[in-house]
Amino acid sequence: MSSFDEVYFLFMDTNECIVSLQIDLTSHIVRVLCTLKVENLGPDVASEILLTFPNSQAMKLANLKTLYNEGKGKGSSAFNLLVSEVHPEGAPQEITFFSVSLRDRLEKGKSLILTVLAIFTHTLQPFPDEITQGDIQLVLYQDSAYFLSPYVVKSQTLNIMLPGGRVESYTKHPNGRIVDSAIKYGPFENLPPFSYSPIAVHYENNSPFVVAQELVREIEVSHWGSIQVTEQYNLVHKGATNKGGFSRLDYQARAYMGGKSSLRRLTARLPPRAHSVYYRDDIGNISTSHLWGDSRKTQLEIEPRFPMFGGWRTSFTIGYGLPLEDFLFVLEGRRFLNITLGSPVDEVVIDDLIVKVILPEGSKDISVSVPFPTKQWQETKYLHLDLVGRPVVVLEKTNVVPEHNIYFQVYYSFNNLSLLREPLMLILGFLFLFIACIVHVHADLSISKSSASYIAKLQWDEVQATVQRVQNIINKCLSIHEKLETSLQDLYRTGDVQSCKVARKTADGLLKELSKELKPLTIFLQSSPQAAQIWPKVDELVAKEKEMQEKLMQKHSAIVDCFEKKHSGRDIESRVAPYQQKLIALKQEIDDLLDFIDEI
Amino acid sequence: MAAKPVTSPVPVAWYPSLAVLMLSIGLMVTASFFIYEATSSRRNRSLSKEIASGAIASVFLGFGSLFLLLATGVYV
Repeated sequence: MSSFDEVYFLFMDTNECIVSLQIDLTSHIVRVLCTLKVENLGPDVASEILLTFPNSQAMKLANLKTLYNEGKGKGSSAFNLLVSEVHPEGAPQEITFFSVSLRDRLEKGKSLILTVLAIFTHTLQPFPDEITQGDIQLVLYQDSAYFLSPYVVKSQTLNIMLPGGRVESYTKHPNGRIVDSAIKYGPFENLPPFSYSPIAVHYENNSPFVVAQELVREIEVSHWGSIQVTEQYNLVHKGATNKGGFSRLDYQARAYMGGKSSLRRLTARLPPRAHSVYYRDDIGNISTSHLWGDSRKTQLEIEPRFPMFGGWRTSFTIGYGLPLEDFLFVLEGRRFLNITLGSPVDEVVIDDLIVKVILPEGSKDISVSVPFPTKQWQETKYLHLDLVGRPVVVLEKTNVVPEHNIYFQVYYSFNNLSLLREPLMLILGFLFLFIACIVHVHADLSISKSSASYIAKLQWDEVQATVQRVQNIINKCLSIHEKLETSLQDLYRTGDVQSCKVARKTADGLLKELSKELKPLTIFLQSSPQAAQIWPKVDELVAKEKEMQEKLMQKHSAIVDCFEKKHSGRDIESRVAPYQQKLIALKQEIDDLLDFIDEI
Repeated sequence: MAAKPVTSPVPVAWYPSLAVLMLSIGLMVTASFFIYEATSSRRNRSLSKEIASGAIASVFLGFGSLFLLLATGVYV
């Protein structure tokens, strides 16, 4: 830290700056934009520059950004410089120091221009702190007219921008004046280090002081094509509190008369192609919302259930889906999510922001890259179709302003096969159901294995099985008959007698085999007492089938014969006609019998 | 190497039709499974046939219900 000492004292005497301060008080967030021209007058080279704020302001500091513009005009480029809090020795206790690390060292006699943006929250104090519905909201802002700096300030101006409207009072100063809706102080010349001159501005500011005491954002990544964002807001209006009740009639019918500082609507700027947007609270859907969008953005305008006055609070949830390919990328085998951190709602201060990034099950090696310090930890969350739970990265940041709404990245590695986990679980679930059915059907659940009814049932099962097999064989025979018929049709078409004969031979062989198979079955059915009822029908079926076989063979040989002797078509027809009629009748009978047996 | 966007394995727009298609095939196979269970007698029922049709049905029903979930907005 000894070098700091050196730097500190070196700066005390040897640096000079020209400052132009601009304080934006138009909303409830105070933005201080400060352009510094720093010149090194000392003998040494400087690598750091100190910025100072009174402790009371530093506590409310939400964001401090320092930009360094290199080059001039069109070719210039701005760099973000690293800012960190330091505690130089011998420095006044009531001042907080921040050190800005310069990119290039500042040589003796050289100067550079820095732009510092400091954003403060909860700084404007409503005064009076209780107003009726008809009143306007007056607030008090306190600061120093001089730029608080450890360096000599050669020249300084201060410009306070107000939203317009009434200015109740402001600290008078020899060279302070009001111009339109701005108060200008300065220029002040040659101020010694740590000059301080308190000023106060009491003015009308009707912007609603929307503060989200807690915002929980859940970003759920699904590799099946969507990122679901859920945002739970806990809003409070931190402006002057309402007294004397609320009159809906005055509010709606005489809007010009009052309720100027109330919160009527909020606008959320969602990313383009956001879909499935919803806006609800504990009661249910809130219908007062409007959504429109184009290729660059989606805009959601939401109205709370009631207009919000100072001190009133509400809570609601908005949610939306985003297309995966806009936010999830793969780089060198690792995936990363690139999405904004803060709330998409305009001009909201978030006291406590919790961002939960829910990654798909099976994500490993998770790392987060956020451009500013946050509290981070990991959790596990169980959602639909999860076995081991999804890894959740939680980021927490306090005192968040819209300027924090920048992109951050969550890197992780993921095997594409893990994508199949969910369908596999569903498949296994269904398979389990089917297996259970199979087991149930196959299991023998009867208690008494020797009772007469049980044995009868077993025998009846056997009869049924045999009948089914007979049916199968008959069906096979019928399909062979079909084949023979088609071979005859081929013969009509091509006149190829030889192939027709071959077809008949194979069919003959097959039919013989089938009848051999049929034999033990018919014997069993004949002998079984359980089959007494069904046997005549089966017997008839078998007999009819046999007859059909014979007729078909006769028909077949007759036609082949005619072809060999080259008879005329009409001759063939007259010879075949009787067989044909018989065959049709037999087929009908067999079908009827099969239907009859089926119904048993 | 530039970062490439990650897309879903199946285009999101196909989910509803895939759900209908696969669920209907799955339900048909399921129907044939139960018809087979109910009509074939205990003795000449073949276990392999039952398991095969059960497996086919569960694959179709599994993917079908996944796509149904995705199409309705439940991103698993």
